[in-house]
Amino acid sequence: MTPETGRRAPNPLIDQLAEDLAPVRTLKLRNGLALVTLALVATVLAVEFIKGLWMVGITGDASPFFYIGTGLLLVLGAAAATSVVTMASPRVGNRNEGPKWALAMAMVLPGAALLTLLGKGPSVAALGHTPGLHCLESGVASSLLVAGALVLWLRRGAPVSPNTAGLLVGIASTALGSAAYGLSCQLDSMIHIGIWHAAPVAVGAVVGRFALPPLIRW
Amino acid sequence: MIADEPTLARLMAASQGGDKQAYTVLLSEVQLWLERYFRRRSAPAMLDDLVQDVMLAVHNKRATWDSSRPFLPWLAAIARYRWIDHLRKVYRSEEDALEDHDAPEDSEEEAVLARLSLERMFGNIPDKQSEAIELVKIEGLSIREAAERTGQSESAVKVNIHRGLKKLAALVEKAD
Repeated sequence: MTPETGRRAPNPLIDQLAEDLAPVRTLKLRNGLALVTLALVATVLAVEFIKGLWMVGITGDASPFFYIGTGLLLVLGAAAATSVVTMASPRVGNRNEGPKWALAMAMVLPGAALLTLLGKGPSVAALGHTPGLHCLESGVASSLLVAGALVLWLRRGAPVSPNTAGLLVGIASTALGSAAYGLSCQLDSMIHIGIWHAAPVAVGAVVGRFALPPLIRW
Repeated sequence: MIADEPTLARLMAASQGGDKQAYTVLLSEVQLWLERYFRRRSAPAMLDDLVQDVMLAVHNKRATWDSSRPFLPWLAAIARYRWIDHLRKVYRSEEDALEDHDAPEDSEEEAVLARLSLERMFGNIPDKQSEAIELVKIEGLSIREAAERTGQSESAVKVNIHRGLKKLAALVEKAD
């Protein structure tokens, strides 16, 4: 007890809070990451059960773009998910810069795909083709489990930047969800993967930034 | 003099394990720390409410402190978050302008406090925004009074408050 404490009237709130005190299990980074990994594995299993994984891709016979695109999405999802898990335990000094660089890296493929597409001129119409839209919708739908896990984790924690946290939940969940659904997609061209497998991340970012903060504010 | 970082961390770790005596001491120290932390950036009438609010948040969110990390940056992040919430809610207070409570300059604690301080956050937003927030949300002037004092239009004051609070909210975890 400091001399200053001795001079002041006792604060009844302190006694009340001390009376209510019970031991707590602290939030650990590894537990948060394990939860996200579990959600991702469950998503892949659901994709296998509902659609079936594309074995050509799994056995290494797909085009390089299949592996590059899926890999970039996984790295982006992992970086964003790690930041989200960290944000549940706040501290002055957290920078959360990782996802920015991962996002910049992941943008290379859609950028290249768009350039290629624009170079081809009339085939811009291919953007509206049905399989692409199906991958967009399924990628977003496949993000739900991971998004739920991350929101649950944040609600247990104390995120002090709800807008950024919401944005990163949207990016992480759709990047991982799209990578998981991509394992069932047989279209492995650069244009298809670069545009339609990356598009769910843009949707996730917008939805996460504007719809999720009210769920995680405390 | 408030307990140092290692002592606070030790008390918090014991509190997470359910030690009520350690928790009582910790909360008393936290109360002192918060009073000093908010002194120059909160209307005197709001100070007690704000401190109590942060202490409740500390209690409810105590599981989110990781014992392998320092305690004060965690406390400061929560304090900043609740402070911005309070600024959003405060529209007008009858209190006079803040007095200048200069904290005594001593020791390493001052350096830690300075690094975590609210002033740092204000330093990262444009002057017009920090001025508008300070006059209306902290000193309790009306929008019209703040507009007269700063020479800005009333709508500009409102916009600067809105934008400033938005920027402050994004700076909660940033140290510089």
